[in-house]
Amino acid sequence: MREFLQYLITGVGSGCVFALVGSGLVVVHRVTRVVNFAQGSFAVIAAMTASTLLASGLPHGLAEASAVAVGAGAGLLVGLVAIGRPGTPPGASLIITLGLAVFAYAVEVLIWGDQPRSFAGVPGAVEFGGVRFQAHYLLIIGATAVVFAGTAALFARTDIGRALSACASNPYAARVVGIDIVRMGLLSFGIGGALGGLAGVLVTPIQLVTFDYDVTLIVGGFAAAVFGGLMRPLHTLVGGLLLGVAQSFVAGYGNAAYQMEVALVLLLAVMMRQAARAPAAEQEPA
Amino acid sequence: MARRAPAVAVGVGTLALPPLLSGSHLTVYILLGLAVMVTVGLSLLMGYAGQVSLGQASFYAIGGYTAGLLSVHSLPPVLGLLAAPLVSAAFAVVVGIPLLRLRGHHLAFATLAMQLILLSLVARADWAGGAIGLQGIPRLSVGGYEFADDISYAYLVWAAVVLTLLVARNIVASRPGRGLRALASGETAAAASGVPVGRYRLAVFALSAAFAGLAGGIYAFYLGYLAPGSFPVLLSIEYVVMAVVGGLGTLWGALVGATAIILLVQVLNTLGTQPGMPGYAPSVLSYAVYAVLLVLVVIFLPHGIVPAVRARLTRRASSGAV
Amino acid sequence: MIDVVDLTVRYGVAVALHAVNLTVAEGEMVALIGPNGAGKSTLVNTLSGIQRPAGGTVSISGRLAHVPEGRQVFPDLTVDDNLRLGGWRIRNRDTGPIYEILPGLTPLRRRRAGRLSGGEQQMVAVGRALMARPEVLAVDELSLGLAPLVVADLVRHLRELNADHGLAVLLIEQNARLALDLCSRGYVLEAGRVVAAGTAAELAASPRVADAYLGVAG
Repeated sequence: MREFLQYLITGVGSGCVFALVGSGLVVVHRVTRVVNFAQGSFAVIAAMTASTLLASGLPHGLAEASAVAVGAGAGLLVGLVAIGRPGTPPGASLIITLGLAVFAYAVEVLIWGDQPRSFAGVPGAVEFGGVRFQAHYLLIIGATAVVFAGTAALFARTDIGRALSACASNPYAARVVGIDIVRMGLLSFGIGGALGGLAGVLVTPIQLVTFDYDVTLIVGGFAAAVFGGLMRPLHTLVGGLLLGVAQSFVAGYGNAAYQMEVALVLLLAVMMRQAARAPAAEQEPA
Repeated sequence: MARRAPAVAVGVGTLALPPLLSGSHLTVYILLGLAVMVTVGLSLLMGYAGQVSLGQASFYAIGGYTAGLLSVHSLPPVLGLLAAPLVSAAFAVVVGIPLLRLRGHHLAFATLAMQLILLSLVARADWAGGAIGLQGIPRLSVGGYEFADDISYAYLVWAAVVLTLLVARNIVASRPGRGLRALASGETAAAASGVPVGRYRLAVFALSAAFAGLAGGIYAFYLGYLAPGSFPVLLSIEYVVMAVVGGLGTLWGALVGATAIILLVQVLNTLGTQPGMPGYAPSVLSYAVYAVLLVLVVIFLPHGIVPAVRARLTRRASSGAV
Repeated sequence: MIDVVDLTVRYGVAVALHAVNLTVAEGEMVALIGPNGAGKSTLVNTLSGIQRPAGGTVSISGRLAHVPEGRQVFPDLTVDDNLRLGGWRIRNRDTGPIYEILPGLTPLRRRRAGRLSGGEQQMVAVGRALMARPEVLAVDELSLGLAPLVVADLVRHLRELNADHGLAVLLIEQNARLALDLCSRGYVLEAGRVVAAGTAAELAASPRVADAYLGVAG
């Protein structure tokens, strides 16, 4: 029982990270129909930025917040290249973001080298139900809860959120009422960058981050997002948590080396199930 | 005949090249040929079946391991080389039946997942050398002739590239090839005109795997050593870059794309390893060149270099005639 | 209100509109009729700024709102959110007056627009356009695909808006009888050119219009 709780908590923690990356994919995809392959890079860039800022003496909180802002800026830049030119089809934008993810490698290695980075998170340990775990997990879970609630409120209750939803719902009608859909798309990339950046600064204290850690994050994040059809943030949260917990149980009761496979097999299974239910013609073209 | 002239010139030129090349340049020549083979298949897959594969290096790996494993278990190497494309294609059929029901970015991620799963399985398979790799693969020999030096591999690769291009060209020009072109212009339309869309997509997927498998087989004999780390996801992305930059669905595009990128990366690599350059320079430069070329081409030449140049030549020819 | 002079619009090499001239005066209801593909929607899209003209000028004094063809609501959003987005340009969030003008929408305000009937969606699209507090309304294919009773209700609302609020209307219709009934003046657009213009009565009386659009033989 005690082991179970331990694995559950660590699983929820890493699940939150996947959910954050996945929700970034969802926000961008909802508004622009682009699957942003560079979503994992925002997390890596923010993680590296935070480690540098902390090392240079910036206090905790400020360093992480600045890193998230850098993530948002990176998101905006990716958006500018991917959708800034009118008429770029979503399929081409996927390839462009793939290229930008590789470009991020060049930037990351140039600035931070190819060695893994980490920094301390919330210090100390917490005891709960007879289980001790790093207090940092509470921050991950709390921050994720706040961010998901905030994103839901943004989309449901603000004019900007309605305009973002409108671009997703009917781009032509959005233009008719005077919404600048390119600007909204860029905003969604910025939000996606911030969500990815947050995932990065939250995960670094519990996981060494190297420049190519984006592959793990994008696969996990995409698996979470696919759970909600790349459209629904709450399903993405559920998908991310399921994935994190499943990985943690496989690692705990089985073999830690199989964590990545859990994500991959879950991803394939969810996609197959969706493909079996929806006819091919209804899926997104390439 | 005039239309064939560039092909003949390139063929003869590349055939004359190997004896003139030094050791490291010969290695580039060989690796370039192998990349062309993989890119030709991927270009057909992306250009005709309209699908992105981010797992093309898995077929390259399967071909390599097939050839390597068979020949370290003292089967004749030539058998291993022949089996490489067949096993890769068979694997593509088996995984393609479920995977190809997906489209677009779903298929892209599914093929990426396929490669990541394959790599970690291989890394844990002791019978395949595990993470350390498969050592002691003998040199290729056919009959009594052993491919011992680099020049012989250069000619082997040349012949394999020609074979790949001829097969690809004949398939594109055949009746099924016309069906494929219909597929490229839209699945619904192709299905409506009686093209068995599902089977064709699977066939192109298997063909692209066979090309990559053959290339992988040669790679295994040339290097004599294979490891999961030789086939990273980045390699699959590099093939996508080569195919997209050259121009999807064109054989010349695959040739030009792979050549341009391999040579450019080689030049930058030489530059990056100059004394005084930091240790990370080569990798930074190669990442940057893949990324920048891919992004620039997708944005400014969405059909790739070769179709863009062709269009310009045609325009010049027709305006000259007026 | 609307002053279109020598407007030319191209899609690539295809010319959608050739030197079109059209005016709508303050408080006027003007019909634009013509067959499918004549360029009617291109004209409205140009008026609302979605399409760029290749030549000529479009000047609009006051605010124009656009009810696009095919209703084009935001299907995943509620009726109220649909209306609010109509006020996006002028930051108008007050949907209350719309429910007074179109009381039929009141019971639907929390429903998702995609779940509504065609007539209800058209009402949402009109209400959304009114949120922009327009002085002129361009309505693209008001009646298309709707039952006659539903159309009659929508027409009644347009008449009221015109009479009570002085709203000018440019009505783009394939149903020429409806358009000429409702409007005082009209234009006939064919293959991107204005081929006839005049008062509704003149147009209805002209053999060309009667023959092609009103189904009256010679």
